[in-house]
Amino acid sequence: MATLHVVSSPPFTDSRLNSCLRVLGPGDALLLCGEAVQALREPSPMAQTLSALPAGALYALGEDCDARGLEQTLARQVDYTAFVALSLAYDRVNTWL
Amino acid sequence: MARSLLMVSRRAPWSGLGAREALDIVLAGGAYELPVAMLFMDDGVLQLVKGQAPQLLEQKNLGANLQALPLFGIEALFVCGASLAERGLSAEHLALDARIMQASDLAMLFNQYNEVITL
Repeated sequence: MATLHVVSSPPFTDSRLNSCLRVLGPGDALLLCGEAVQALREPSPMAQTLSALPAGALYALGEDCDARGLEQTLARQVDYTAFVALSLAYDRVNTWL
Repeated sequence: MARSLLMVSRRAPWSGLGAREALDIVLAGGAYELPVAMLFMDDGVLQLVKGQAPQLLEQKNLGANLQALPLFGIEALFVCGASLAERGLSAEHLALDARIMQASDLAMLFNQYNEVITL
């Protein structure tokens, strides 16, 4: 019974990513898209926090990384097709609106 | 079998429509007898504070709608303990009888519902 959390808001001016990390449970995964991918820039305290997540629990939308000139190794990059597949692989999707 | 819903309400009560919209979804679900629960976290916990006077801001009182939750069969009400503590709040400040959840319990709470909406 695991949840895929989707966060798209900017990580440094908005509390959604931090709140999401607070409720992230074992088996859950986090997909960063939009401005939220900026959280993957190393080295930074936020990237450090994200690096502590279990292997396979962190994803990023590749297009949003590329658009921002972000080369990152913390998250597994996915395209839109894989995003859809991921949504189906978890019991529920929680989008942090 | 109706699918159950957890509404996570994290907007402050008097800035924007988010708090009221979350409440409307929950009350609508309750009216149709869907299994619905509500978790207040982040600024959403401010909705529960006693003694607010939104008429001074020319806003409708959200508190009256919150009090209606049990009448609509929504008795599963939870509040994030860490969000309360960050805002200098504790159980005594709350106008509604909601169960205070510690961070470790929150992930398990999500697992008990089919759908989650976070507003």
